[in-house]
Order: sequence, then C-alpha cells, then structure tokens
Amino acid sequence: MATIEILATGMGLSIQDQGRSGWRRYGVPPGGAMDRYAAQTANRLLGNSKDAPVLEILMQGAQLRVLEDTWVALTGADLGSSIRSWTACRVQAGTILTFPVNRSGLWAYLAVLGGIESEHWFGSASVDSRNGLGRRLECGDYLFAVASGTEIPYSGIGRRVLRSDLQPEMANANEFELLPGPQFEQFTEAVRAELVGSQWTVAAQSDRTGYRLSGPVLEVPDSILSEPVLPGSLQIPGNGQPIITMIDGPTVGGYAKIAILQEADLDHMAQCRPGTELKFRWKI
Amino acid sequence: MLTNLNDLVRIREYGERGYLLEQLSDEARIAIERATTLQPPEAFAECVLGAKNVLLLFHRSVTPILVENWLRSLTAEWQGEQQEQLCIEVPVVYDGTDLEEVSARTGLSVDRVIELHTAPLYRVRMIGFTPGFPYLDGLDQRLHLDRKSAPLSRIEPGTVAIGGSHAGIYSVASPGGWYRLGRTELSLFQPEQACSSVTPFRSIFSFAAGDSVKFIAL
Repeated sequence: MATIEILATGMGLSIQDQGRSGWRRYGVPPGGAMDRYAAQTANRLLGNSKDAPVLEILMQGAQLRVLEDTWVALTGADLGSSIRSWTACRVQAGTILTFPVNRSGLWAYLAVLGGIESEHWFGSASVDSRNGLGRRLECGDYLFAVASGTEIPYSGIGRRVLRSDLQPEMANANEFELLPGPQFEQFTEAVRAELVGSQWTVAAQSDRTGYRLSGPVLEVPDSILSEPVLPGSLQIPGNGQPIITMIDGPTVGGYAKIAILQEADLDHMAQCRPGTELKFRWKI
Repeated sequence: MLTNLNDLVRIREYGERGYLLEQLSDEARIAIERATTLQPPEAFAECVLGAKNVLLLFHRSVTPILVENWLRSLTAEWQGEQQEQLCIEVPVVYDGTDLEEVSARTGLSVDRVIELHTAPLYRVRMIGFTPGFPYLDGLDQRLHLDRKSAPLSRIEPGTVAIGGSHAGIYSVASPGGWYRLGRTELSLFQPEQACSSVTPFRSIFSFAAGDSVKFIAL
C-alpha cells in the first residue's frame, strides 16, 4: 500500500539520500540531499538509518495526501506546514500535508518509516535528473514506505521533537569561513581582500549544481585547464561573479577556484535562498 | 616510469579531505588513477583526473605524509599493470549545426574539417563535466577554436563536438559551448545499467581515461 500521494509538486520534489561515492572518476557527481544534516535528522527522528531515502521539498507549493495511518518526520526549511519542523509525528490516513509559504531556508525533508522505496543508481537513491538518474516527482506519483503496513510504533506518543539547540538557524549569521582554493595564489591580494570585504547576494540563477553570487566584479586570472572541482568551491568565471559549486555540480571545470567552504557549512549554504546576503572571512 | 615520482609531484591541499597531485606527466596521471583502484591508500574515497593533475579525495582528513608514503609505495608490482589499450570506434554522421561556422573560422572547407577530425587516433585525457563525457587529446591544431562566448543552453547527447584543444562527445543533454560537428548513435552513458552493483563499468560508460578513440565518418 502506498503511503503518500503527490497532489501538487510546488517548486520541485525529488527523492534524495546521502549521495553516492566512488563515481566521480566517470563524471558522476556525489549528489544527495542539499542539506544532508536535515535529511539525516528526519531519518533519525523515525529511527531509520541516516541515509534512508527521503522526500526533498524545494520551497513552497507542494501538497501531499497521506494514505495510511503512519509516522512522518519533517526537517529543514520552514515551509509553513501544518506539521512542525524538526519533529516526527503521527499522521492519519486522509491527512493533506501542505507547504504553503517559504518562511526560511529552501529545502525541507520528509521521512517515512524505513525510508522511501526507490531505485538506486551507483548505490544511491538520489535523483539527479540532469544526468539521467531518475526524475523529479510528478503530480499523481505515489511514495511507498519501506516499513509500510508494520504496526505503528509508539502509538501512544504524540510526537518527537529534535532538541532545539540541535535545530540549525536558517536565516541568521550568514557569514562563512573560507579555506584557500587551488588557484588562491593566482588571484591578487586585492581580490582576495575584496572577496571577504564585500557583501554578496545569492542570485536567482541557482540550482542543485551551483549557487551564483552577485556583488562587486572580481578581477579574474587567466583561465585554467579543466581540473577536478569539489562541492563548496568558489569558482570565479569570466564575469567576475562567484559560483559556489553544489553537490550536483560538474566533477571537473575550467574556472579558477579562489576558495572552498568548509564541508560542515555546505548544508547552511544550501539553505540560503536567492536574495540572501552573505559575507565571507578567511579561516586563518 | 614512476620511480622518481615522489620527487616530481607537488601535493596541494584542496578542501578538508582532498589533495591535488600536480606537475604530473600524462603517463603518471593515468597510472595514479589506475593505482587508486588496484592499491588504494588508507581512507581513500575517490579519484578525479584533471587535464594536468589528479585529485585524491579521502573519507576523512589525512596528512600529506600519508599521500607521500602511498606514492612511494607504488612500486614495480603495479607499474607493470599497463592501462589496457582499448580503441573505441565511434561512427559519426557529420551533419552538425556548427560545421559551416567551423569552416568559416578555420578557413578550411567543410570536407577538410571532417577529414581533419576523423584522421587522428584520439586519447581520452579524462572523463568529466557530465557522466561519461570524454575529453579527447589529439585534435588537429588547425581545428583549435576558442569556446563559444555564449554557451548553448541545451546540446543533445551523442553530439560530437570540438572546443579549445579538445574533441569530445556530449554524454547527456546539457548546456555547452563547443562547436557541433556531428552526432553518434553510440550511447556514452547508460544510467539504467547503474542500478546493479555488479554491472561492470564498461556496460555503463563507453569510455575510460587512457582509451583510444577513432571517429569513423558514415
């Protein structure tokens, strides 16, 4: 029996887990949940393995119908849902889950008991539709919980909430520490200072492959030969406006990389929606 | 070939758990990639080839000493392991939208462009950009053109193209700034084959770094 029916996709729904490893040498990016911590936490709230497939919800507009009495967990962006974020709760057959307004962050995660049944590519259920690994969900699709039909555990408990100090802030403190990137030395000292001395804004042309920033035009060194690119890298293309490579981004690229974010900050970066103002500082 | 590798290679940190090995010969670059599958270093996660360098990515932060020691350990036992010399023949229909533009920019006739593109035995320098996309060395100098200043938003998979000093074949529908010379029916990436963990990579990807490639005009 299906657990959830997609009534409306809103800005975009896909199945994600913690991504794949070992295939970048063939050009396959790691992929996975844009906010890995939030996806893991949704699973932890249900007692699933942390890399179980979850539903990734981009911004507002999705509507889901629950088809059986079960438990779900919701984490990540606050999309104004009737169920509280960073919480696992019981839901009854017939409940409609809505995500009407994007209050903070960009990506929310809904976990079901045991994870969502899904195909796997290179050992991961993470959909990467650009690269032919599955497709985004459509209206009328059904999601099947791996542990569907099992007796509902903890039926006497109303809900489980993640300790509030473990719930990340989505909107505040958008200052990120930077490590030098492979071409750090090819940028002038003035450009390195300008990067950390300026205010940057996340631009609208951002997606799972990369977030574009707008701000002062940085002077770009000569182009480089194509070389490996890691998620979190600040690439500076010809127009002098940084692109932060995200987890579906290309495995190699020819833009100079002035810096790279710390890995632990990638989740927070992913939740910075277009229009968010950012500052950087060099990690000494 | 790699006896003195450790004296030549430059190791550069990239992120918290990556190292770029730089200043490598072409042979060393391919040999190191092979070595990561045959005799990987401790905590090894992934290897990615660049045009002139190699990225080693680990599961956790490791010291550069570990990388140096691993490079030193790469001895005769695997140096003998040569890359299998596969030559992959790629049938091409030369009806690309950009043939005329390439002809105009190079001052060569369309027929001559096709002739020069099919003549070489290319070598896969690396795979990347998109899954299975081969960067091919060996493009005739007369066909070296700067990439388009305004990339197209969609290039179809199987499009045979040239950009800079490389030839290539688009593996999935993607944006791109290379010149389109033709198309091939050959499938470069078959994601549906990637559902099983026992599928050999040759059933998923047509090319691997180090392969030779020959274009055959249809």
